[in-house]
Amino acid sequence: MDLRDSFRNATRAIFAAKMRSFLTMLGIIIGIAAVVMLMAVGSGTKQSILSRMQSSGSGNLYLTAGARSNVLMGGGGPGGPGERSGASSGAKITAEDLTYIEARITYPIVVSPTNQTNITIKNGDTTMSGTGIFATPTYFEVENVTIADGRMISTSDIDNRTRNVVIGATVQTTLFPNESAVGQPIRINGASYKVVGVAVAKGETVGSSVDTAIVLPFSVGEKSFGVVHKVIQRTTIKCVDPTQSSAVTTEITDILTRKHKKVDFSIQDVAAMTELVTSAMTILTTLLAAIGGLSLLVGGIGIMNIMLVSVTERTREIGIRKALGARERDILVQFLIESSLLSIAGGVLGIVVSVLGSDFIVSRFTTTVVTGSSILLAVGFSIAVGVFFGVYPARTAARMKPVDALRYE
Amino acid sequence: MNLIEFSDIRKTYTIGSVTIDALAGVSFDIGEHEFVAIMGPSGSGKSTLMHILGCLDTPTSGAYRLEDHDVSELRSNDLARIRNRDIGFVFQAYNLLPQLTALENVLLPCTYSTHVISGRDERARAHELLERIGLKDRMNNRPVEMSGGEQQRVAIARALMMNPPVILADEPTGNLNSKGAREIIDIMKELHADGKTIVYVTHDDTIGAEAERVIRIQDGCVVADERN
Repeated sequence: MDLRDSFRNATRAIFAAKMRSFLTMLGIIIGIAAVVMLMAVGSGTKQSILSRMQSSGSGNLYLTAGARSNVLMGGGGPGGPGERSGASSGAKITAEDLTYIEARITYPIVVSPTNQTNITIKNGDTTMSGTGIFATPTYFEVENVTIADGRMISTSDIDNRTRNVVIGATVQTTLFPNESAVGQPIRINGASYKVVGVAVAKGETVGSSVDTAIVLPFSVGEKSFGVVHKVIQRTTIKCVDPTQSSAVTTEITDILTRKHKKVDFSIQDVAAMTELVTSAMTILTTLLAAIGGLSLLVGGIGIMNIMLVSVTERTREIGIRKALGARERDILVQFLIESSLLSIAGGVLGIVVSVLGSDFIVSRFTTTVVTGSSILLAVGFSIAVGVFFGVYPARTAARMKPVDALRYE
Repeated sequence: MNLIEFSDIRKTYTIGSVTIDALAGVSFDIGEHEFVAIMGPSGSGKSTLMHILGCLDTPTSGAYRLEDHDVSELRSNDLARIRNRDIGFVFQAYNLLPQLTALENVLLPCTYSTHVISGRDERARAHELLERIGLKDRMNNRPVEMSGGEQQRVAIARALMMNPPVILADEPTGNLNSKGAREIIDIMKELHADGKTIVYVTHDDTIGAEAERVIRIQDGCVVADERN
């Protein structure tokens, strides 16, 4: 029997019992939709976490004072200075430490020391609060901050303790809604500074955002802000070749341990954290898919149930076909195609439901990404379900003795 | 030459601890172009006999030769091929598939054929057969839209589709009125005249009288084998 005939027979049988076929498919529709949507939530969450981590610089290391036993329990993340247990016991990173590291490191790196404090920013009658970031010119390269208007903090700003600042995009729109801030005076904690540049908006990143911050030269404000620039809160080290990040971590740890005679600092590697998050999210996505897969299993059992009913109902038809020369294989193929078609149709509808569902409903609550691989998986799975749960009923049909099948009332 | 040779065919059913001999050693030969009626009361074993003749069932013991091949030892795929190619069935209940039109029902055996015939040739033959039995205008009707006699004529066209040497008819007029029955018997005689071997199972003596030869079965044994 050629396949075209088989497909025609199968579609005819499916359409002959529309309601029943639809209800049978519903199990698969729900199962596939569950798998695809749960995977979409999983990969969406993964992607949004990763993009936040990447926008804060791939291949970056964060050097802070105070030893930490567990990177996962450390809290604060790469952006948050946070209180360290070691800080109170006198552990600190100094400018001298950084010079020492730069003199001995064998890999190409860019070092960006920063100190941060909360500030109040004012222009005329408008006031907002933000973060003051004391930084060197390398800050912009290392943290991936680009200038929309004006210029960066320069080396001469640092050397001359010029009160020139670069403001974040949100500061620009809040305090200077109608004009470019470049060249304008701005008051920070009551003192007057001059805006020389505006940074491009970065959106959400891990830790504090540059959008609501003001970047000041790493030499000003010791008196007015109460920061001590001899002690560096956080140093971001950019590996020129991001793949070297773990080797650089090891080397800096060695160098600094030799100098301090103990490990009273910690280095966080964004690449390592990214890897950790990626594998954790992959496990989560797999788990979600497995939960969806359970409902697919139930749908498959539904198909088997209906196919068994269908085989019994059509016993006489099977007998007639056998009397006319159908072999066991012909009958087997006929019922397998029927169960597979039910399952594939259910799978396709399930994908439609899940794409619509994740675009219009779930995406309101969380980020979703329907990946091609989840759709392939869903289609593959629905074919597999149709064949797997169709085999038993189809074999039952194929193995009927023609004489018994013909006599069936 | 003998088309069918039955020697000491037995069929035993075991139901619980009871064994029933549906056929207790049946032997006969049927030659080419014969018109044979197999007659017997219900429960005589004639249905079992007919099923074995039609390769729908296998005997418990004994040898069955069809067209000089031993078919009692064949496996299910080979039996399927024989049912497709060598035997045309006509059943009491017509056994048409209700979801198919008359034409599609007639074409059904082709879908299980191992011969490669072009679809156009198949359709031309099906048209010709339906025309021959007077159902040219009913080709695209489904069985429910046809009378019993018409349905049985479609079934005969289907039986002839693969051009088998043997037509096996099991009470084909059992569900029909006398006019319909007459038509079927006339078609059978016509087919016989065209060279087909007809094996006709019935319990109706008036129909048996139309056959060349009558084999009578009772309690699973041949009790009479006479020529009219």
